[in-house]
Amino acid sequence: MHEAARNVHHMNDVRDDRDADARLASRVRAGDTDALGELYDRHAAAAIATAMRVVGAREEAEDVVHDAFVTVWRKIDRFDAGRGAMRAWLMTIVRNRAIDRVRARRATIDVDDADERSLLRTGPNPTWEAALGRASAGDLRAALSDLPDEQRRAVELAYFEGYTYREVAEITKVPPGTANGRLRLALAKLRDSLGGTSAAPQLATERSFSEDATR
Amino acid sequence: MTNRTDLDCAAVDELAAAYALSAVEPGEDRALSAHLASCSRPHDAVRAAVEGASLLPWSLVPVAPSGSLRDRLMATVAATPQEHRPPPRVAVERTPDRARAWWRMSALPSAIAAVALAAAVGLGAWGVSLNAQLAERDEALRAVAAADAAYVAQGEIGSGWVIQSGDEAMFMADGLAELAAGQLYEFWLIDADGNAVAAGTLADTDGVTLVPLERPLDDAVTFAVTVETERVEQSQNAPVMVAAIGA
Repeated sequence: MHEAARNVHHMNDVRDDRDADARLASRVRAGDTDALGELYDRHAAAAIATAMRVVGAREEAEDVVHDAFVTVWRKIDRFDAGRGAMRAWLMTIVRNRAIDRVRARRATIDVDDADERSLLRTGPNPTWEAALGRASAGDLRAALSDLPDEQRRAVELAYFEGYTYREVAEITKVPPGTANGRLRLALAKLRDSLGGTSAAPQLATERSFSEDATR
Repeated sequence: MTNRTDLDCAAVDELAAAYALSAVEPGEDRALSAHLASCSRPHDAVRAAVEGASLLPWSLVPVAPSGSLRDRLMATVAATPQEHRPPPRVAVERTPDRARAWWRMSALPSAIAAVALAAAVGLGAWGVSLNAQLAERDEALRAVAAADAAYVAQGEIGSGWVIQSGDEAMFMADGLAELAAGQLYEFWLIDADGNAVAAGTLADTDGVTLVPLERPLDDAVTFAVTVETERVEQSQNAPVMVAAIGA
């Protein structure tokens, strides 16, 4: 298939996928429990994987996923399909609930507020979604493993183990600005690895990050 | 310093990745959220970081959930009100048959039955190593089945029911807001004159909550829940959940 045609095809798939989630979200908002079941069927396996990566034990991971979907049910009115994708919102909730279990962060981080983080986008980004639609889990795993060790370690400590960038700095024995820079580089590279993301900001080097903002 | 309130756009962009990963310090977290909520700039760096962070779950190999998880979830959801849709009032007619077996839940309101089912499914998942809890929950489920009346309790921590069965009462909920370390929920029964008596505490909010109250409902007109650091006999704290008894 011609590249342009393939891109159009993928964009349609992604749009269909996102639209399907948005339709299910509307039904969930109307109190349709079957719609929540359909959302579960679509995303439970990825949710379990994320929770297990954080908490380790499968049984506890299932508790996390259960609680996350209950949160989706209870708070569906906060979800706005125009601001972000359902699956990103769901995975943010799963991750935050999992981190909440393994680390006593409830008193320091507002989990509800953190759940909203995936909805910060000001609107759909078709270019990004098309790139995401083209990517496979294998591509993303390869992108993560291709990161320099210190960047991969930093992002894993932060995302999957719940450490702040300052804690990451202490653990990895670097200044906070360097740890923050590694996180930023890692995310930028992951995002760029999908290609077709011209909206991504320019990459910077670790040294370009000011220590002022992280002092 | 972690209590930052002075973040400008450049500082927000520099912390974008840590923010997207929920890996900023608490003070910075609040300052960033406040800035982004009020700033007219698009902050593409934050947007890009959020998109980058959103990839991380998809780098994992999917893991199929167990078959019971879906049933457990659907049972819980059936009993859980949505934030934007107030739960229906629940009332059960008094019945002389107190000896109903707990599994005869069909006579209960569907929402209560669903919570009880959720607990039962949960029991299956917890396994045989929790015999003491099994016995405790089984007893609670029997009390649920013998309920004479149920009153909806609502508040900022979630929702639940106060269930009356003869002279006994219990509190039942699922998905109560978790407590910070060192805190507990304390239950209160308040009469028409405003006199409040402590009726129990709860520290573990994990999963389905079934807590027998220490006192019968008697003359209580209100059930309330406060957050305390230890059990107290008088509370100065505002209720985080209430139920009208007898309504």
